[in-house]
Amino acid sequence: MFVSRSMTRKVITVGPQVNIFEAQELMAQNQIRHLPVVDESGRLLGIVTDRDIRSALPYKFFKKPPGKEEKKNFAQLKINEIMTRKPITISPSHTIQDALLIIQDSKVGALPVVDEDRKLKGIISVRDLLRAFTNVLGIGEPGTLLCILVEEKVGQLKKIVDAITEENISFGSVLVARYWEKDKRAVFPYLLTQNVAHVKEKLTNMGFTLLDPMEWYLDQLPKNE
Amino acid sequence: MSNRTGFLYDERYRQHLTGNYHPEVPDRLPSVYKGIADAGLLEKLTLIEATPADLKWVETVHDRNYIKRFATACAAGNSIFDSPDNQMCTVSYEVALLAVGGVLEATRLVMEGNLDNAFCAVRPPGHHAEVDKAMGFCYFNNVAIAARYIQKEWGIERVGIVDFDVHHGNGTQHIFERDPTVFYYSIHQHPTFAYPGTGREFERGQDAGYGFTKNSPVLPGNGDAAYQKLLQRDLFPAFADFKPEVILVSAGFDAHVDDNMSDIELTTEGFTWIIERIVEMAAWYSKGRLISVLEGGYSLRRLPELARNHVEVLLKG
Repeated sequence: MFVSRSMTRKVITVGPQVNIFEAQELMAQNQIRHLPVVDESGRLLGIVTDRDIRSALPYKFFKKPPGKEEKKNFAQLKINEIMTRKPITISPSHTIQDALLIIQDSKVGALPVVDEDRKLKGIISVRDLLRAFTNVLGIGEPGTLLCILVEEKVGQLKKIVDAITEENISFGSVLVARYWEKDKRAVFPYLLTQNVAHVKEKLTNMGFTLLDPMEWYLDQLPKNE
Repeated sequence: MSNRTGFLYDERYRQHLTGNYHPEVPDRLPSVYKGIADAGLLEKLTLIEATPADLKWVETVHDRNYIKRFATACAAGNSIFDSPDNQMCTVSYEVALLAVGGVLEATRLVMEGNLDNAFCAVRPPGHHAEVDKAMGFCYFNNVAIAARYIQKEWGIERVGIVDFDVHHGNGTQHIFERDPTVFYYSIHQHPTFAYPGTGREFERGQDAGYGFTKNSPVLPGNGDAAYQKLLQRDLFPAFADFKPEVILVSAGFDAHVDDNMSDIELTTEGFTWIIERIVEMAAWYSKGRLISVLEGGYSLRRLPELARNHVEVLLKG
C-alpha cells in the first residue's frame, strides 16, 4: 500500500542545463510524459512535462518539425527556464491512497517521490496507480463478479461472506460501494469460479437483492442538482 | 435435407461425475440426445463412436506435464483439479481423452469427405482449458486439438473457430493468439459481468497472430438483435477475409434466456439463426466442412430443442 512499492524506480531524469529538444526526444524515446529535473547530487529541482515543452515552442512546429536553422533559435532554451519549480511531491512512505487523493486534487499526472533531503527516489504516475487498482479489482484472475444490494447495517457483509464460503468458493476481492439509495450499499464480491448459479439462488433466498448487471456502478457521479 | 451429418454421442461421456451443485452434469447429454432422437433425426445422421485420443494429438496443444498431472490426480481419486470449479471422479481423465478422441474421429470423417459436417455431444467441455491448466469445467481443449489435428494430419493451412458459448474461450484464444493460421472468433457476455473475465474487444491476438483473434462482448440483458448485429459487424467480414478452409464451432448453449449461467437472453430461434449463418460461411469458404463441438449449456429443459435445431440446420445445409 506504500508509494515505495508502486512507484517507478528507474526514473529518466535530466539536468537543468539540458536543452528543450534533448528533453523532448528523451520523453519520446522512453514514452514518458514527465521528466524530473535533478542536480548533480540527485536532488529534485523541478519537473517538466511534454506539455510544458509544447507550450514553449511555436505552434508551427507541430505541423512541421523544425529545420536546423529554426532549431538553433530555440536550442538555447534550457529546461530550467520552463520547468515547474517546487512541484508537488510525495514521500516513499506515503500510501497509494495518499497519492490517489493528491493526484485527484492537484490534477497532475505524476508525482516525483523524494526523501527528506529532496533526493529523487522514484516517480508515481496515474499509470502506476491504475496498475495497483487493476490488481485490487482482481481483473486479471478468472472469476465472476456479483452485485448485491444490502441495507447499511452491521453484519450484512458477514452473512454474504459466510453464505459464499459455505459453497466452497474463494474470493478474488470484495468491494463495497455507496449506492444512490440512502441507507443502502452495493457489495461486489468477485468470486473465483464459473459456478455461480447456485450461490446466486441461495443469496436471493436469503432475502438479498442481486442487482441487474446493467444497473451496477462503482462510481458516484457528482450530483448536479 | 441434403447434408451428410455426423453425430457423436457416447454413453461413456456420462461417466465424468461432477458432484453436487454442479451445473455441468451428466444429464446434459441425454437431454441433447433426446431432443435429436424425439425429432426422428437419428436415422438421418451418421452415428459416430468415440475412441480414446492418441496422446500425440493432445500434446499438440497441452503441456506433457499437465497431461500427466491430470492423469495422476484422477487416478489418485482427487475430486477437484486446479480449481474447485473442476469437479471430477476417478475416470474423468479417461472420459476427457474419449471426448478428444470422439471429436478427432468426427473431424477425420469430415476431412475424408465421408461427412459434410458433424455435431459432437461431448463432456467434459474444452474451451476454457489452457495449455497447462484446467479451468471452468474444462480439462482438454477439444476444439483446439481438433484444429491442430486438421493442420498437421490433413495439411490444411487456415482453420476458423467460432465460439458462441456465453463465456469467453480463454483457453482457445491463448493457444492460438500468436498464430495467424487459426482465426479465433468469440461472442460472449461482456467479461466484466461474466467468467472468466477475458475476451474484451481490444484482445486481437499477439505478434504474428495480431488480427486473427476477434471478440464481441455482449452486455447483460441483450439477446438476438445484439448477436445478429455483432456477428454481421465482426465475424462475417473477418471470415470473408480469412477464408477458413475448415470451420470449428465451440457450441455452447448457455446464452439462452432460460439458462441461469448468464444474463444473456438469446432465444431458441436466435441460436438457429447463428448456426445457419455459420453453416452458410462453411459452404462459401470451407467446402461445407464444419465440426461443431458442445461446450456449455445447462438448461436441461432447453437443451433438447437447442440440440435438435442445431442438428437440423447442419443437415439442411
